[in-house]
Amino acid sequence: MRRLAALAARPSEPFQTRRRGLRLATSTDRWIPWVLPLPALVLTALLMVFPTAFLLYMSFHDWFMEASSHPVWIGIHNYEALLRDDRFLYAFARTGYFTLLGVAVQIPFGLGIALLLHQDFPGRSIVRTLLLLPMVAAPVAMALVWVMMLDPGIGVIRYVLSSVGIPRVAWLSDPHTVLPTLVAVDSWEWIPLVALMCLAGLTALPTEPFEAALLDGTSPWQRFWHLVLPMLRPTLVIVLIFRVIDLLKVVDIIYVMTRGGPGFSSETLNVYDFLVGLFYYRVGYGSAVAVVLFAVVVGVTLLLMRARRATW
Amino acid sequence: MVEGFSRRKPLWTRRTRRFLRRGLLLITSISFLFVFLFPFLWMAAGSLKTQVQYMAYPPVWVFHPTLANYMRVLTSGDFGRYALNSTIVASLSTGISLLFGIPAAYAIARYRRTGLGLILLLARMAPLVAFLIPLFVLYVKLHLVNTYTGLVAAHILVTLPVVVWMLVGFVEGLPPDIEHAAQIDGATLVVVLWRIVVPLTAPGIAAAAILGFIFSWNNFLVSVVLSGDRTQTLPVALFNYLGYQSIEWGPLSAAASIVTLPVLVLALTVQRYIVQGLVAGGLTGY
Repeated sequence: MRRLAALAARPSEPFQTRRRGLRLATSTDRWIPWVLPLPALVLTALLMVFPTAFLLYMSFHDWFMEASSHPVWIGIHNYEALLRDDRFLYAFARTGYFTLLGVAVQIPFGLGIALLLHQDFPGRSIVRTLLLLPMVAAPVAMALVWVMMLDPGIGVIRYVLSSVGIPRVAWLSDPHTVLPTLVAVDSWEWIPLVALMCLAGLTALPTEPFEAALLDGTSPWQRFWHLVLPMLRPTLVIVLIFRVIDLLKVVDIIYVMTRGGPGFSSETLNVYDFLVGLFYYRVGYGSAVAVVLFAVVVGVTLLLMRARRATW
Repeated sequence: MVEGFSRRKPLWTRRTRRFLRRGLLLITSISFLFVFLFPFLWMAAGSLKTQVQYMAYPPVWVFHPTLANYMRVLTSGDFGRYALNSTIVASLSTGISLLFGIPAAYAIARYRRTGLGLILLLARMAPLVAFLIPLFVLYVKLHLVNTYTGLVAAHILVTLPVVVWMLVGFVEGLPPDIEHAAQIDGATLVVVLWRIVVPLTAPGIAAAAILGFIFSWNNFLVSVVLSGDRTQTLPVALFNYLGYQSIEWGPLSAAASIVTLPVLVLALTVQRYIVQGLVAGGLTGY
């Protein structure tokens, strides 16, 4: 369809022999696609393609970045070392846990809020607007606020929970609670995005099937399970893909709130890579970690995109 | 006819039910909205408290607000310079992204086979660290660490994808007839872009610019790696305050509020495009 529309939109070919102006226009047409994006292509090549190629190259070297040391070619040794690196393997597992938990929390809650906002009630556009705030605020500032609120001594969350009888919890300094707590903060930030994306999907659905279902006397639950969910599936899969991509890569809130601690208990792949490559200056090894992380994100995305086409 | 209506409940019951239903929906959404907005309220409240009020447990809910924290932040230290750095870096990187992005977006929207789309899609998936490690090595070699040039260039990584994807959408919404008419009249490509495409997509360009600015302003990871004492941006400054031995939460809350407020105001002006922008260019902090 799109190709047809593009063809139809072109200046018509038959005239080109008769009038010079039009021949000019069509020959311009031929080089526009190559010339216009050229500056941006050069820029992205400099800023994205070159670094990625350099990253791949560096991942086959051993290099502790210092004035006196030089990169040494060691083949795939870095990748072999990763398989024996416990800290890496735990970080790998933690990233999976963090992502699964995040998706399990964010998609149902986001869908729930979307269904709520899909109803008609006064003030719903204001609610929708205010929901944007968590995702646009600076993550560092928000991470600081959450550190204050989660303080086990004077934090307001301790106060609220103690009023319903829940004892004091060291949210960020207990290895057992730190990852779920970070997932909660990430969910606070991104559930609104899931909700608004689902809401856009709901709004785009045709109304006739719902009218028919209402006439047939179906229950709200039946309508949700047999109509809303199957019809919303394409939207849900796209939301899932984007949330998985971003959850696999979360680093700023974790780094600001815990720096991967206590111990290494909240160190995900991205945080580990950040520390290895840019804090300990082990450039070669850090590059190998980054390549693996990149490959994981691309691989999972491709899998999910394939699942998008398959049936449930 | 009377038969058909007689089964329906009296009018007042239907009205009451609808009223109750709407009231219930409103109360539910206000309560979850409260959860999502509470951190902002708590940050604002904290910025108006004295250290004593701040450290009190149970927390003080009603107190006499003080502006002392804001005075401290704004008068002492280099906060003003960090704010200026953030503004410079965000404006320049967004401006350059627009300059390169508008022609590119036009080509993608109209011709679709540029290769740039695929690169930007991969960039959307790549972790920021994958770019930052090589850039850091390069910057050390070229002495670009702690320079505005280097920082702006790296921030383009964050702003360019958002700007391009947003603009592609806007150009696609433009009927191509006008451009063809201009071409027939002998307008060159530059004229078509500058006199037709840019004015007609001006609202879209403004939205893309504001979103790019927000993304760059919020970005922590790029700046923490590539900036230094001279070029430090606001998020890095906030992070460094946190590292002090005894944290003064009042001034910190005030600083966090100052960093957050402009973004919230800007965001409300482009609220229709935020979801689209976040989906397109997720390099904000990953």
